[in-house]
Amino acid sequence: MKLSVIFFSFGFFLVLLQTTFLHLFPLGPIVPDLILVLCVYWGLNHPTVGAVLGSFILGYSVDVFSSPVLGLNAFAMSLVFLAVYLSSRCIWIHNSLLSAVVVFFASWIKGAALVIVWNLVLAVDGLWTGFLKYIFLEAFIAAILAPALFSLLRRGQSYLENMRMLA
Amino acid sequence: MLTFVRRNQVLLSSFFCVFLSLYIVVSAAKGRLRTDPIGPLLMALMRPLQIGAQATVVKLRDLPQIYVTFWSLVSENEKLKQRVLQLEMERSRLLESEATNHRLQELLQFRSQLSSGSITASVVASSASTWFRSLILDKGSSDGVLKGMGVVSPLGVIGQVVAVTSRSAKVLLLTDPNSGVDAFDQRSRARGIISGSLDYGPIMKYVKRSEDIKEGDRLITSGLDGVFPKGLLVGTITKVNKKNFGLFQYVGVTLAVDSSEIEEVLVVSADRGESKD
Repeated sequence: MKLSVIFFSFGFFLVLLQTTFLHLFPLGPIVPDLILVLCVYWGLNHPTVGAVLGSFILGYSVDVFSSPVLGLNAFAMSLVFLAVYLSSRCIWIHNSLLSAVVVFFASWIKGAALVIVWNLVLAVDGLWTGFLKYIFLEAFIAAILAPALFSLLRRGQSYLENMRMLA
Repeated sequence: MLTFVRRNQVLLSSFFCVFLSLYIVVSAAKGRLRTDPIGPLLMALMRPLQIGAQATVVKLRDLPQIYVTFWSLVSENEKLKQRVLQLEMERSRLLESEATNHRLQELLQFRSQLSSGSITASVVASSASTWFRSLILDKGSSDGVLKGMGVVSPLGVIGQVVAVTSRSAKVLLLTDPNSGVDAFDQRSRARGIISGSLDYGPIMKYVKRSEDIKEGDRLITSGLDGVFPKGLLVGTITKVNKKNFGLFQYVGVTLAVDSSEIEEVLVVSADRGESKD
């Protein structure tokens, strides 16, 4: 529970980063999706109800600060968590490169989910134009950042678990 | 049933969240989502953090510009320093030219006061020995400088040419103990020989005890030594000591010309011309 709260707080810190500091990078319209990386990490290494709620609420937070329609990112993040959680039974991430690959595909799931729901529900014209490029770029950047963030989260998690065992 | 739920709580809650979010999307898209309890709360919570972070972001965003500006200022500062140095050197050169011009004008004016035959020369070297006081001039016998000629400046007497080559001349200064110039007190006309000395500086020798001389009296050349024209300033009397015995009195002199500051001189001969003063 305590770990989930800390992870959740860290998730809000990532939202803060995504709304402020990450815009400093010269990536054009692409904002590195650290929330996605966190959701993937949760799906792989910390699959709890708290993590499910965390994915949903963090996605919802992104909607609150970014999306014109509430629920789009909440849906996408919940779906990513679900997909990763289901696939975690088949894959075992033991190195950084694999985490990057998983994040890359998870980003594609998120991007595809967003575009499909957006089109189905909102019927926005011209959304299909160039969406592949954006999904690819977002997935690529998230994949690059994933190993570092995974490493950080793993260290934090093991540190907190050790503290809990000592207590 | 409960066991199934507990075993699959993550999966079930995931599906629940997926469907809940889909419902939210559809409701929001159709405008049926009237209340959003989480959004305003989130915004209120994040607002101060975002304000603080954004302020930092703005500063960080300006950082490259500040960096560029800083380095352009450094570069400009360096250029300006170079320019200042250049201008300082130019100014120094101009001041030097002006001072030289002034000195030469004075020399020219002084030369015109002498009847004729004086030769303008520049000092190119000074004495290499502690014991002798001399100068080297850039004019020699090929320019008309002869051994025994007097060397003067607009301020007064400097010394005497003691050796000549075709292109240079050596001048024995009045401060040298071996030098001597026949002079007299401008006020009382008391005569003597002004010479240098190692211990006490320049002195006026062979002044009779009975002569009326005072501190501050000006000493001028007599013209009788055949070296200097008559009437050139040699120096002023700074000390008079009339002893109770002996024929002569001790007279200390401060020369009119500081030989260490001489740059241009006139080489003159008493038989070629006399001062108009």
